[in-house]
This record gives sequence, C-alpha cells and structure tokens, in this order.
Amino acid sequence: MTVVNIVIKNMKQRGLATALTTFSVALGIALAAAILLIRNGVQSRFERAYAGYDLIIGAKGSPLQLTLNTVYHLDASTGNVSWQLYELLDLDKRVARAVPFAVGDNYKGHRIIGTIPEFLTEFEFGSGRKFGFSQGRAFRFSESALLEAFEEAAARAKAAREGKEPLKHDPHDHGDNVFEAVLGATAARATGLKIGDKFQAAHGVTDDGHEHDEQWEVVGILEPSGTAHDRAIFINLDSFYHIGGHETGGEKLHAGAKPEGGAQEMELGQISSIAVKMRAPPFLFMLKRQIDESPDAMAVVPSMEIAKLFSIIGNIDRVLLAQAILIVIVAGIAIAASIYNSINERRREIAILRALGARRATVFAIIVLEAALVCALGGALGLAGGHLLVAGAAGALQEASGFAVSALEFHKIELWLWLGCVILGVVSGLGPAARAYRTDVAQNLSPTT
Amino acid sequence: MRAMSEGNNQPPVLALHDVRKSYRDPDAVPLEVVRIKEFSLAAGEQAALVGRSGSGKSTLLNLVAGILTPDAGDIMVCGENISKLSEAKRDRFRAAHLGYVFQTFNLLQGFTALENVLLGRVFASGAGGDAHERATKLLQTVGLGERLHHKPRALSMGEQQRAAIARALMNAPHLMLADEPTANLDEPNGVAVLGLLQKACMENKCALLLVTHDPDVMRGFSRVVGLEELR
Repeated sequence: MTVVNIVIKNMKQRGLATALTTFSVALGIALAAAILLIRNGVQSRFERAYAGYDLIIGAKGSPLQLTLNTVYHLDASTGNVSWQLYELLDLDKRVARAVPFAVGDNYKGHRIIGTIPEFLTEFEFGSGRKFGFSQGRAFRFSESALLEAFEEAAARAKAAREGKEPLKHDPHDHGDNVFEAVLGATAARATGLKIGDKFQAAHGVTDDGHEHDEQWEVVGILEPSGTAHDRAIFINLDSFYHIGGHETGGEKLHAGAKPEGGAQEMELGQISSIAVKMRAPPFLFMLKRQIDESPDAMAVVPSMEIAKLFSIIGNIDRVLLAQAILIVIVAGIAIAASIYNSINERRREIAILRALGARRATVFAIIVLEAALVCALGGALGLAGGHLLVAGAAGALQEASGFAVSALEFHKIELWLWLGCVILGVVSGLGPAARAYRTDVAQNLSPTT
Repeated sequence: MRAMSEGNNQPPVLALHDVRKSYRDPDAVPLEVVRIKEFSLAAGEQAALVGRSGSGKSTLLNLVAGILTPDAGDIMVCGENISKLSEAKRDRFRAAHLGYVFQTFNLLQGFTALENVLLGRVFASGAGGDAHERATKLLQTVGLGERLHHKPRALSMGEQQRAAIARALMNAPHLMLADEPTANLDEPNGVAVLGLLQKACMENKCALLLVTHDPDVMRGFSRVVGLEELR
C-alpha cells in the first residue's frame, strides 16, 4: 500500500465523476492532438514535396496557384508558357535540370501529367529523394515526335481556320509514337490499372469530361512517395500533344484546366509549367528576376509560397487549437470543482489518514496527485483518440489533397501536450488540496461529524 | 510525576505534566476542557481514564496523539516531549509510536480490511518488514482471517472494530490510545473486543490508555483513573 494506491482507490470510489472528468480531458486532448498531427503531417509532406524544386516557372498569375498546380496537382493551371522557354532553360548553364509539365486531362479523377521520363528517373522531387518503381519502367519520350506533334496539330488547326477539309486524325494510328503511362502508387491502387492495361483519358481535371479516343498503356507503377505525385498519372509529353480532337479553332490545343475543371486552351508549342533545379543557390534569384521581367512568364520559389500558405492556414488551425485547449481547460475546471466538492464528503477520510500519521503535505499531495492522474489518464487516452481521429481522417485527407498522413507517426509535441495536461491537473488540484490541507482532524474524527 | 508502575523499572511510556487545553466558545470565552497536573503510564501498562461526557476525554487522547497541542504543559511520549515538536514531526511520531482505536472504528470505506490495516504502515517511515504478511497475521489474530478482502460495509460492527485494532497494531506501537472502543457495540461484542484489545496490547508489549464512561469497561482494568482526580 502506497500513497499512489490511496489515490487510485479514491479515484475508483468516485468512479463516475472520475470517468466523466477523464473523458472531458481526453476529448479536448484528442481534438488538440488531431489538429496538431494533421497540421504537422500535412506541413511536413508539403515541405517534403517541394524540396526538390528551386523554381517553378509558369504563366503570370497567382504564384501560389502555380505552386499548388505543379507540385501538388491541386487547383488550376495559371496558363501556359512556351516550349522555347523550356528549351532555353534546359540549355542554361545555371540550371541543373528543367522539367516541363503539361496538364489538363484526367483518368477517373486522377490528373494526367505530360512530362519527360527524366522527371521519374533522375529528378529529385524531394530532398535527395527520387521516384522508385514498384513495377515496370518509365515511359519513353521523343523530342522529335513532340515537335512533329506540334506541327501536325498546327496544320490541322490551320486547315480548320481556312475552312478546308481538316486533316484526318486517326486516334488508333499512333505511327511510331508511343502512348505510355506511369501511375503513382495511389492512382494505381484506386484505378486498378496494372502493367499492360490500357486506358483512355478524359478531358479536364475532373472525371466528368468527355473521353479522348487515344489509349495509353501502363508501363510502370511508382513506389509510394507520400506526396501528391502518388495520385497522379504521368504520360510522355509527346503523346499529350498527339491527342486529337482538341482543336477548337485557331492554333490551340487544350492543356491546363479552368478552375471549374473544364479544359482551357493551349497555344501550340506551349506547356503548363517548368520545374527548375538550380546548379547553385545564388543563381536562383538572378534567374527568377530575369523570368519575372519577361511579359508572359513568372518564376516562383515554392518554399516561399508554401510558407505563405501555412501562415494563412496557421491562423485557422490556431483558432481550432485554441478551441481544443479551451475544452481541456474547462475539463480542468470541472476536475477542480468535482474534487473540491468531494472534499466535504471526504473530510472524515482525510482526518483518519491524518490520525494514522499522514502529514498535511501528504494529504495535499494525495489530492493534487488525484487531479494530475485524472489529467494524465485523460491526456493519454486523448492522444490515443487523436491518433484514431487522424486514422479516420487520413483517407479523406489523402483523397482531397494526396497527402498520406499516418496515424502511426508520433511527434514530440504530443509529449508536451501530455505534460501540459498533467500540469493543468496539478493546477486544478491545488484549490481542493488546500481545502483538504486545512481539514480539522480532531473535529472530523469525532462520532458526531 | 508518577514515573513507574509497581514492579516495573522501565521509564514511563507516557507522562503528562501540567497539561492544559481550552477551547473558546462562540462568545470567545475560554472553556478549559483538559487540566491534568500529573499522569504517567508505564511501558506495557493498561489504564482506563474515566469521566463524564464532555469532560475532555477525547481531547486528552488527541493531545497525547499529537493531533492537538496543549495550551500549556508537557506531554512526554516514549521520552519525547511531543508538545514541543512541529506538526509534521508529531505526525511522523504518531505513525511510528502510537496506535489509535476510535469509537466509530474510522475505517476507510473504499478499502478492504487488509488494505485498511496496511494503511497503518503507509505513513510510518522506516517501518520495515513484510507489511502484507504482518497485516494478514494481525487480522488472523483478531479473528478476521477469513474476511481479509471484505470492505467495512460487509463487516459487522464488532468485526470493524477488530480490523481497527489490527490497524492500530500494525506499526508495533508503544502506546495504544482507545477512545470508547466498545461504545458502539452490543455487550457480547463489547466484551470480546475489549478482551481482544487488552490481550493484543499485552502480547505486543504495548501500553494501553483507554477512555470510557462505561462501568463495565472500567471493571476490566486494574488501574482506573478519574479525570477529575488528575486536576
């Protein structure tokens, strides 16, 4: 028998009150933990995803929109930049690697990204992290086929503009061109596509657009990266421009997407954005300034855009966090009130303990320990509940953003949250403990009390 | 000061000298409830202190236990003037050297008989040995070997007082204080509990100071002292 046994006995004796106050603490901590875990998980994955990109270049517009569209496959494209700009960047000695992207189609809601195979094989999408293949290989790409596609499409568009019989586009005759696709891990799982399967893309970035006639063959499936790329489907850029039936007059092909999910038009020889990795940091702002001075393009530093985004989101989750902490504080007050009221009924017990040799300080400690234990237990249950909430929300979160937040990840902040909870318990126990401390032993031992 | 009982060469386990204790009534008029010029109890001695209701018997026991402090005088327990000790030291001293049996048993309701007895050990620093084994043995001695894990509400009044006696003996005290321990019991139970208490104190070489106003209880003691005589 120890003082802790006495405390646990007291808690059991007041079972209902203990359970209710423990539950209220657990509820607050679960909410606070879930908010922190999701925020931290999303933030770390956001940061992990942009780490490989020094600059993103796209049409002038919202820098955040360009970042979200290129790195996270969210939102709509800001517009297009020319293929020539990509070629210039590719030759620029300050640039270690440039990767072009063309967007605007989807398969069952999974965005299709036209790019070059080096993005999947050599580009570091995160800090020191390259894509790995769980099955198959990267798609093939031919720059000459791409340029040929530009010319063919231009010819079809010109014929249409001049009212001539449009050149026939046979979607089933690919000639020497390849239509190959590599699926992100989530996209592969969600669509059920396997190596060798063929699929048809749909127009736009939502799955309600009309289907193109062309078929892509799945040649590779990526290992999970824990980023938004897991939800995407990557195709060879040249095949993107071989898609027929996109011309709506003028020399335009669709690419990118309007915010409502419909296709927008892309001028021939244009791409949605370019990701750039610099050879050395000093070149970054030099190149950015040069690009920004051009009339049609802008260069954004994704880390800065994401920092801005989280400063906005931070305000929202601070409000949510404040609410959760308020719940915990209210629970702390409930604990104080519950124990304070119980002291009246426990005066005799306290007097007996004193008569058995318990010091005032020991009685004080017993009450404080009881409040602290309720909070420690509630805090621990709350942290477990927080992870359960994250597990429940992870699927919806991944569906919405592509970020796989793991319920099994633990953060140091949880320890601080739990310690804060225990301190709250200690503080809530001080008032009742002071009341117990002042208990008159002789008076409460007598039979009349 | 009467230092020793006949045939006993050991120093007294309890010695009171000019002890006074007053309370203030609601009109702040001091009301003297305890006034003892000299009293002592030898090691292992058993004595009954008698007095009418309200004569300060329980207050005297609380003074000896160090729960209350006297307004004046010295209370020597096991050679220590406890009235000069700090409250914390008195608490520790009480846990180590004194046993206390109450009229209303004062067992903790949420604890089993065994746990109540073990409670006696929690606050006694330095008390060694196997507490569980000793508590079990004490409960067996008082006839509760089969009721170790019963909570007080499952015990009869007599059994509750037996458990309280076992608890008071847990730290092998030098002095046992008993405040009308049979007042809430029927006669057969009262006789049995008193006999048990006296026997247990004798076996544990523990002095017993019992306060009562019951003539039947007084008859069980060779030394009976009226509180009025001590003024």
